[in-house]
Amino acid sequence: MTLRSFTFAFFLAPLVVSGAEPATDFFEKKVRPLLVERCMECHSAEAKVKGGLRLDWREGWAKGGDSGPAIVPGNPEKSLLIEAVHYGNKDLQMPPKQRLSPQETDILKTWVEMGAPDPRTEAKEVKKQTGLSLTEGRKFWSYAPVQKPALPEVRAKDWPRSNLDHFLLARMEAAGVQPAPDAPLLPLVRRLYLNLVGLPPTQEQTEAFLKEAAQNRQAALARLTDVLLASPQFGETWGRHWLDVARFAESSGGGRTLLFKDAWRYRDYVIAAFNSDTPFPQFVREQVAGDLLPAATPADRRRHLAATAFLALGPTNYEEQDKQQLRFDVIDEQIETVGRAFLGQTLGCARCHDHKFDPVSQKDYYALAGVFASTRTLFNYTDNVARWITTPLPEEGPREAELKLHEERLAALRKQIDAAQTEATNAAKLVSSPTTKPGMPVAAAELQGIVLDDLEAKVVGVWKKSTFVRSFIGAGYLSDDNSGKGEKTITFTPTIPKAGRYEVRLAYTHADGRATNVRVNILHADGEDTVFVDQTQPPPLEGRFISLGKFRFEQDGAGYVLISNENTRGFVTVDALQLLEEGAPSNQRSEPANSKPDTLAKNKVKELEAAFKKLSKEGPVRDLTMAVADDDKILDAQLRIRGVERQRGETVPRGFLQVTFPQAPAALPPDSSGRVEMADWIASGENPLTARVQVNRVWNWLFGTGLVSTIDNFGTTGEKPTHPELLDYLAGRFMEEGGSWKTLIREIVLSRAWQQTAASPSATDPENRLFAHANRRRLDAEQIRDSILSVSGGLDRQLGGSNIAGAGDIDANNSSAQNIEYNYVYADFRRSVYTPAFRNKRLELFEVFDFGNINQTMGQRNSSTVAPQALFLLNHPFLLEQSKLAAEAALKTPASIQERIRAAYHQVLGRPPSPKETAICQRFVAGASAPEAEVWAQLYQMLFASLDFRYID
Amino acid sequence: MNALPFSRRRALQSLACGFGQIALAGMASRSAEAAPAPLAPKPAGHKARAKRIIFLFMQGGVSHVDSFDHKPKLLAEDGRMLDFADLRSLAKSGKSPQQRVMKPLWNFAQHGQSGLWASDLFPETCMHMDKLCLIRSMHTEGIAHGPATLFLHTGTTTFVRPSMGAWISYGLGSENENLPAFVTISPSLGNGGPRNYGNAFLPPVFQGTAIGRAGVPAASATIGNLHSPRTPAEARRQFDLLRELNAEQLLQKPGDSELEAVISSYELAWRMQGSAPGVLGMEGESPETLALYGIGEKATDNFGRQCLLARRLCESGVRFVQVNYGDNTNNPAWDQHSNIKKHGDHALAVDRPVAGLLADLEQRGLLEDTIVWWGGEFGRTPYAEKNGTGRDHNPAGFSLWLAGGGFKAGTAYGETDEWGHHAVVNKVHMHDLHATLLHALGLDHEALTFRYAGRPFRLTDVYGRVVHDLFA
Repeated sequence: MTLRSFTFAFFLAPLVVSGAEPATDFFEKKVRPLLVERCMECHSAEAKVKGGLRLDWREGWAKGGDSGPAIVPGNPEKSLLIEAVHYGNKDLQMPPKQRLSPQETDILKTWVEMGAPDPRTEAKEVKKQTGLSLTEGRKFWSYAPVQKPALPEVRAKDWPRSNLDHFLLARMEAAGVQPAPDAPLLPLVRRLYLNLVGLPPTQEQTEAFLKEAAQNRQAALARLTDVLLASPQFGETWGRHWLDVARFAESSGGGRTLLFKDAWRYRDYVIAAFNSDTPFPQFVREQVAGDLLPAATPADRRRHLAATAFLALGPTNYEEQDKQQLRFDVIDEQIETVGRAFLGQTLGCARCHDHKFDPVSQKDYYALAGVFASTRTLFNYTDNVARWITTPLPEEGPREAELKLHEERLAALRKQIDAAQTEATNAAKLVSSPTTKPGMPVAAAELQGIVLDDLEAKVVGVWKKSTFVRSFIGAGYLSDDNSGKGEKTITFTPTIPKAGRYEVRLAYTHADGRATNVRVNILHADGEDTVFVDQTQPPPLEGRFISLGKFRFEQDGAGYVLISNENTRGFVTVDALQLLEEGAPSNQRSEPANSKPDTLAKNKVKELEAAFKKLSKEGPVRDLTMAVADDDKILDAQLRIRGVERQRGETVPRGFLQVTFPQAPAALPPDSSGRVEMADWIASGENPLTARVQVNRVWNWLFGTGLVSTIDNFGTTGEKPTHPELLDYLAGRFMEEGGSWKTLIREIVLSRAWQQTAASPSATDPENRLFAHANRRRLDAEQIRDSILSVSGGLDRQLGGSNIAGAGDIDANNSSAQNIEYNYVYADFRRSVYTPAFRNKRLELFEVFDFGNINQTMGQRNSSTVAPQALFLLNHPFLLEQSKLAAEAALKTPASIQERIRAAYHQVLGRPPSPKETAICQRFVAGASAPEAEVWAQLYQMLFASLDFRYID
Repeated sequence: MNALPFSRRRALQSLACGFGQIALAGMASRSAEAAPAPLAPKPAGHKARAKRIIFLFMQGGVSHVDSFDHKPKLLAEDGRMLDFADLRSLAKSGKSPQQRVMKPLWNFAQHGQSGLWASDLFPETCMHMDKLCLIRSMHTEGIAHGPATLFLHTGTTTFVRPSMGAWISYGLGSENENLPAFVTISPSLGNGGPRNYGNAFLPPVFQGTAIGRAGVPAASATIGNLHSPRTPAEARRQFDLLRELNAEQLLQKPGDSELEAVISSYELAWRMQGSAPGVLGMEGESPETLALYGIGEKATDNFGRQCLLARRLCESGVRFVQVNYGDNTNNPAWDQHSNIKKHGDHALAVDRPVAGLLADLEQRGLLEDTIVWWGGEFGRTPYAEKNGTGRDHNPAGFSLWLAGGGFKAGTAYGETDEWGHHAVVNKVHMHDLHATLLHALGLDHEALTFRYAGRPFRLTDVYGRVVHDLFA
């Protein structure tokens, strides 16, 4: 206690004792106005309660905010409030905008010394919005158990073709609305193809179908549906839908984007899951907990591991410097994705506070967070730029044996290398002469590459010039004189004439008294590396240099090599820096033969290293996948107050959303993260959300809107279902059928409702919430691209596999891999599901047609009509080239102009032209002055740009 | 809660034909104010002081202690090893080693009538000192480029949120139906890339339109697919064919406003093809104007073109033009972790174009209602990084300046500590800057919200305050 405050306390204490009034008086006259004027704007029930601190009543400051009690009565030294107003602590300065005057500060201090008398014992209630209680929540439609509704009665008994038609028709009849007639066969067959396989039918396919349908329309449709559901293109198309839900991407985006080199295995997993109609509960288990599932075969294990990339594919900001924060951000992203994708819940809200609308508490959030905190998604928590986990994949029989053998050989060789390395280090210590190779001085100009003498470096601190050891370059070398440790640095900043990879070599002179751990930092285009040089050892290259490694530099980019004498014992010397471009011709780099034992030992290391390199290159390579794993430590998470990572609250046992359980569930096992149990909880027939959310997704993908129009939000802020009984009927069917996508899709497309004709929005039901006609739907980005390629004949139908050119050779965690993304040229013509899905650089067609954003679960894409789309279709080279290909192919067959027009209409729009349309096109062709192929290319292009191509009727 | 947002959202997304009719869409949703429409920007509670912003983004982080924040103490104590709370070390390890004080490499002097201090790093900009409103007490979030750059643009280091330009187009619309409301010139692919001008969950009409990209000469930067590869006559004939085909198809589907919107999008594209190249070119600019921006001189040609283009876009009604001085690397442009001297090269490239832009806007009377915002994602440390020759990032305290648009000219606001390390007096957080800039445009940062995933979102999240003291 300072003398001054002691005096005050001494002086004022009697006032407190002798009667409340003077003290209260002091509060009323001095303190209250001050609090009102300067503090309560942010710390009162009526305004805000920042940091959880209220200063509008006694309990407020006594209990305090996130940092604890604000005032310790009688003890200003221990009162955070006083510390804050004194502005002594940089992290705690209040009021933040304008410091109090010294007089004002004194008032508060005096008041605290007085024991902080405060007559305000009644609190004003904080108006806090809270979500539904659990009991109320369980009554809300989406959290209530799925019902088994009876089929409603309908008047037009001959209209329904399937059970679901009853539900829709009953509503239409109640509203006095007639269903639309059945769609004509031509648009219907195009609709079916595009919906199920994402490609338009060829003219031959259309004709075959028409022929069959003439016999029996419904039977032909059923047969065609089965054919399409069985084709591999079904999985490509419907897998793509799920990839939207899984926010699938092949790079991290965000800050420093990193390439997800192995993410394609997840993409292929999803496609295969749809093609093989993996039951939904299994689909959930594999993605949430594949690594923990028993696997009967290596193939199962591979599939299970690849599926867990679902949890790792987020737009993670691996560069975040606070790694605990990063870890927490990853967990948050996982909770948000699992919540949206499987449950239609926006759980992210509960990171900072109880959900304001939904029956989801902050505790629920941290119960889930515990599961993911016990899961390892990041490789470690120390890398400057963090990375994900790549897991080796097992193989079958002989292939596995071959791999194992190879890996054992490599391990044995590695052991030999380590032994040889130890020997070499020991041998070097035995070499006595301090100047083993006393080479003569050499001019910088005589050396290859970029050479910077020490004179050209930026020198910090006092360095001593020397020419004592004669092997120096240029004008002598510099020594730190074994003094001023930590105060001296030398920085070389080479000018790089040409972007590329360079070997960076440092020249120094060695001796016994030199430092053994000279830190050298190299800043290059991909980040910064640190190398330690042992200057007691002779420079291994030409007796002058040591190689610091190979690094990439940009032309004239930022780059430096910094040598520091920090933490060294012994002399630090610096002579010169040399940069040799990789692949540049060399004629002076051979080293003189030397038979000294240290050199022999070193040569042995080199030989072994070379053998290792050769063996790894020649041998079989094991496949890797992005995956997660259970962490070594299984821990319940601590609640974070207001979501701030460093502000820990109570520990919450791992678990799931309470609202989905009628009774409290069993505790999670102490020896695993609980992801298996989480998957089982998600996929359980008891979970009221999962099946409803998934059948609604399918409905949306087939009808263009959901029964619940907020596809990813089944909370209280989402829309209510237009047909709740139908939703429950479908959800019940989905679960009964074991979660079969194909059964559900088949039932819907064969319904009468789905086969209605498309119409423009009606005045009475502009959103078509009665589903009284088919919605006219636009082609999405992939359908546009794949349809054009299909018409032009340019489509490459190869299935699966990695599709990022150049990604095979790189270390995916190396940040230079991002250049593959930045400089990517999209040259393949495979189906769009395989187009590299980078987050920072998208295929332009995708960006323009509402598929630019793959950062979060997207049950429904944006759908915009903007001028850049029109410009793309009018002027982009892709359109010009593919139209030209289509025209050239058409012109190979002799035909009349009318026949060609007719064929073009069939190819592009799936229908014949009207006489008027034929006339328009004929006039266009006849009036042309350009070469024939060009004219037809222009015609094809405008058909691609026309409304009937861009929409599905 | 979410009453009927669907129809409105759909209407906005499908009928707003793009660049163009954002303004119309904005008006439509305003007129429907009576119904609680989540898309309707709240009416501004105050008068706008400015109509548009030009943001000159100095990517990588300019050293404030070498430019606009004069700290004599750095000269006096140069070379001393002292305790500084280094933010990067603290984030990583919770500890901070001693750091070597490094003096500024440029000489400071007072400038103009206002007598504000600045170094000779930007001599030509300093000739306009009496137009500048310096903020010397900025602080922000994010120690590395990625997080800090995202924070600058979107108000968050982590989440995917709309960029500031997208919020402004959402709030104000465009004044020109043939141009986008939000343009970014030569943006970087790195450090957030497209997320820095993305619309996130806002309707796509509000996303930024990139003109060119970092690493591509500004002389060849343009809007994608704006140029027809065909002769004008051929293009015309082909477009007429499309009109006829579409008209015929539309006859079969009467009353579908979405199809009509597609047709108007083609008409708009056709008009843009005719008029936008004029705006993007340099036609009609006098040799004096070109010289003012340093166009034609090696060091300044590229950034000069970008600045002149920004002025032309503003004249044509664009609301938010971002001019990027940066590149695609992980250590972009101003990121001098070593050799702080290199700041000189960058300053040379931007100084004249920036000064030229200020002079040009003033002589055309545009500076009154145009805000020019110059700055980076953070500043740099007053001490040498790893005891070397450069400076590390400093989000705790840095400077930037605003000019025009009703901001106090020739003043400096706020202070850092005696070293220039932490902002201490009249601190302005990046959230506060966002709030203040929106305020200047007549937008209330607490009212400019968009409902998404069940709750309203805003640029400033639950933070931000308008710094009224900055206004004249």
